[in-house]
Amino acid sequence: MWRRSSSKLLALRSIARPNRIVTPSPSPLTLRPSATVLSRHFSGNVSKKVEDVMPIATGHEREELEAELQGRDILDINFPEGPFGTKEAPAVVKSYYDQRIVGCPGAEGEDEHDVVWFWLKKGQPHECPVCSQYFTLEVVGPGGLPDGLDEDDDHHHH
Amino acid sequence: MGSFEQKDPGPIGALATTVGGVMYMHSFQGGATLLSLGLIFILYTMFVWWRDVLRESTLEGHHTKVVQLGPRYGFILFIVSEVMFLFALFRASSHSSLAPTVEIGGIWPPKGIAVLDPREIPFLNTLIPLSSGAAVTWAHHAILAGKEKRAVYALVATVSLALVFTAFQGMEYYQAPSTISDIIYGSTFFLATGFHGFHVIIGTLFSIVCGIRQYLGHLTKEHHVGFEAAAWYWHFVDVVRLFPFVSIYWWGGI
Repeated sequence: MWRRSSSKLLALRSIARPNRIVTPSPSPLTLRPSATVLSRHFSGNVSKKVEDVMPIATGHEREELEAELQGRDILDINFPEGPFGTKEAPAVVKSYYDQRIVGCPGAEGEDEHDVVWFWLKKGQPHECPVCSQYFTLEVVGPGGLPDGLDEDDDHHHH
Repeated sequence: MGSFEQKDPGPIGALATTVGGVMYMHSFQGGATLLSLGLIFILYTMFVWWRDVLRESTLEGHHTKVVQLGPRYGFILFIVSEVMFLFALFRASSHSSLAPTVEIGGIWPPKGIAVLDPREIPFLNTLIPLSSGAAVTWAHHAILAGKEKRAVYALVATVSLALVFTAFQGMEYYQAPSTISDIIYGSTFFLATGFHGFHVIIGTLFSIVCGIRQYLGHLTKEHHVGFEAAAWYWHFVDVVRLFPFVSIYWWGGI
């Protein structure tokens, strides 16, 4: 039950947040909460363990807290940044599964275009039809199809 | 195909309540029973729904920071919708009281209506919710400071004051010289104060649940969205109390 819910949550996030390649500024599409746990600790007294911050944390919340204490944000996977992707040096988009929805906004400045959406699949690099930016997928999670896509027979709903 | 709870039981309760309510108000046989069953079903639905929310959040850890934004914004918007609702009721009161019609004597309060002295129970019943609001703020600070026992005591104080308010309000209703059927004065007075009282009862229940959860250790200083929602609701209820006090009890009785 836990695993199924967690994969559904990640799949929701993949679909809800498109990737913005080549934008160094924070994505305007998300409601990223501004107050973090770390910002409230003194610089010389950073607690190292989840137990110090929130002893009853479990599940996803615990993962998020652990990541924050290590200085990372688990939602970073949704905001890939990098130089314009070419065939020789493609733009790499990370994903927990074998495919995810990606949006290409074009290159910097004048070469921007309206966002073009596409499914980026493992082993199938994709070229943006407008600006020819080249993307490949890097699977960093369990792989497989995102939750909700592999039910061919509609025998139960969630 | 799965138990009934997995399909949403809500509509049945809503249907039974509304149909039963109409039947009851038009004196059809079985109306009261259907209404009661519907209300019980709605309460049951609420219980299992929020029990599941607590399971998913506190016990399973699904409520990461981003997920928490949903209930936060959602609850704020809900309170805004409640403000709109109560605003409508107070507007109804002002509509009738600011320009009293000739049928009621051209004066407000209408001719023949005896009003309550605002300096007695109504004033006390305005100070009590304000104090209760202070108590819930005390509880919040206790939670943020990690003083778990004190937070429980503060919530007990909050709920006790709320129950005293409800008791006094009930007594006031019992002793009131007019009823809801007493022309427009009674209508607006009892609708506004009645719905406010209903919201107080809801807020009290919410605070009791928070008190129980705090006692059980669900609320931490980093994460207590449910408590914050209860506190916001409680402040909304106690601020709203000021409006009927000033405009209906005090000004409306002069």
